[in-house]
Amino acid sequence: MPPTPRNRGLAVLPIVLGIAGVVALAILPKFVESPYALQMMVLFFLAVIQGEAWNLIGGYGGQYSVGHAAYFGIGAYTVIVLLQSRGIAPWWGLFPALLLAVLVAAIVGSITFRLRGPYFVLASIAVAEIFRLAALNWKQLTNGAEGILLSGIPPLVIAGVQITDFSSKVPFYYMGLALAVVTVLVTIWFQGSKLGYYLQAIREDQDAANSLGIPLTFYKNVALMISAFFTAFAGALYGLYVGFIDPQTAVGLDISVQIVLTAIIGGIGTILGPVIGAALLVALSEALRSNALTDLLVGIGIVNPASTIGQFLRDNLSHAHMLIYGVLVALTILYMPDGVLGGIKNQIRKRRARAAAGGAA
Amino acid sequence: MTIFLQSLLSGVLIGGAYALIGVGLTIIFGVMRIINFAHGDLVMLGMYASYFLFTLGNVDPFVSIVFVFPLLFLFGAILQKTVINKVLNALPQNQILLTIGIGLILSNTMMLLFTSDYRIISTSYSSGSFRLGEISVSTPLLLSFVITAAVTAILYWFLLKTDTGQAIRATAQDRDAAQLMGVNVKRMSVLATGIGAGLAAVAGSLISPTYYIFPQVGQPFTLKAFVIVVLGGMGSVMGATVGGVLIGATESLAGAYISSGLKDLVVYVLFLLILLFKPAGLFGKSRV
Repeated sequence: MPPTPRNRGLAVLPIVLGIAGVVALAILPKFVESPYALQMMVLFFLAVIQGEAWNLIGGYGGQYSVGHAAYFGIGAYTVIVLLQSRGIAPWWGLFPALLLAVLVAAIVGSITFRLRGPYFVLASIAVAEIFRLAALNWKQLTNGAEGILLSGIPPLVIAGVQITDFSSKVPFYYMGLALAVVTVLVTIWFQGSKLGYYLQAIREDQDAANSLGIPLTFYKNVALMISAFFTAFAGALYGLYVGFIDPQTAVGLDISVQIVLTAIIGGIGTILGPVIGAALLVALSEALRSNALTDLLVGIGIVNPASTIGQFLRDNLSHAHMLIYGVLVALTILYMPDGVLGGIKNQIRKRRARAAAGGAA
Repeated sequence: MTIFLQSLLSGVLIGGAYALIGVGLTIIFGVMRIINFAHGDLVMLGMYASYFLFTLGNVDPFVSIVFVFPLLFLFGAILQKTVINKVLNALPQNQILLTIGIGLILSNTMMLLFTSDYRIISTSYSSGSFRLGEISVSTPLLLSFVITAAVTAILYWFLLKTDTGQAIRATAQDRDAAQLMGVNVKRMSVLATGIGAGLAAVAGSLISPTYYIFPQVGQPFTLKAFVIVVLGGMGSVMGATVGGVLIGATESLAGAYISSGLKDLVVYVLFLLILLFKPAGLFGKSRV
């Protein structure tokens, strides 16, 4: 029997499910008013944006940048500095912020993309560290290590009608949701575009791709610029939402690692991988922060709350999220190098192969 | 001129410890082609080990290296056998992410156990110095440099003159060929990681009297170690030794003439320039 040709168009089911999911998320704030739940969702959207953005260059292109904090920081700092010291409203400040991030990406890309493998990773880290040190030392502009506390965001007024005054979490929820949806759509487009195919060819074999006439640095650069654009956008949203930035929380190495982690835990080079990674990471760090994990361990009777261990967990687990991230990275690389999504796909493939073998026998 | 000589001297003295850190990284890279991102955290472990030996056992930090080296050698060897060994053939990116993960685990475990408080080891000579003409020489830095030089000499003797040392170098030169010649490359990988970890920790012990000790102290050392190793040429022990001293001096001069806050920035810019224009480093063959 000839193999049935696979439908190359988008399947109907994922589209319907996707639209249903977005609609459900869009009406969620009408029913859920808890600021706590909204806060979780905003953090989730931000993580999705960063993970998907990194995925373009890191996942599809195989260029593991561990320096995306540079673009995140540029987005956050430009918008906040313009707003706080020049009084420029963030929706105007966004333009220079995104432009700057894309420009920096073009410069950084044309320098570092000549390097390969570990050398590229090292260079990307060095670039981000240069930006962090600049933010730390350019005190007139960034207020150094003390950071910048935002005193307020002016209300958004269009044609005399006040859209929002940013006093609640709801406007951030919608901005996050909208941008997260856009990054996912861009990823879907990217995956099927010439650009996306070129990058995947580069990931599989740079030299072969080059010999086929793909200009390596140019296409890597384009992907990095798109990636930097959305990462900076996420940075700007983050800065406005939290209302405070400093070099460590906006440009630190931890940010870069978290971005990479979001993508690899879910599964790199896939559309849904970073979404899954973001959901897992946000849920996990919240479970740690709020001590929900300790409560769970106590609740199911593994740990006695009065014991030394119970007390130790309660006191310390809330600061342990970077430790858990470290453990997650190590476990993912060792046991699930394709991420959660890749792991599930592999399982399905194995099961199918086994079923096919069973049917043949 | 005095300022120049003064900063050059303190740069070279601190550069000795940098060289040890870099040599450890380059040996691990040479034998396994893995860049150890947890390297600075091994330096941090060395500092803590010396701190506790000093406060609990009253062992001088410079003497403590005889305990710290074997301890961290064992730690590195176990780490290689249980974890790093599993990714020897994985993508370089995954190897890097794994060691980043190990680094996060090490620094955050230390933070959980001992809080992020800054600790200092105050020995009788911690702030001691003597004058050499116009220049003041810090006693702990000079002592640490002398010990560094001795450790480096022993290391060179080990690598050049002993059978095991030569087997390690052979593995670094060509893993497959070494294996065909009967070298136990698995054992060499364990040894190399142990030695690399031990050297990083010894460097940590040696600088512990002059540094604040806290769980996150390692990260800058990791990056610095890369700069050193890339400058000297990946896998070149000689290159890392010279690179360490050069970076120490550069940093110190940049601190004196530009701004002390920007000295790390100068080092990273230098790093990018080397990667671009002389990726093989000063002593290495190109592997880019």
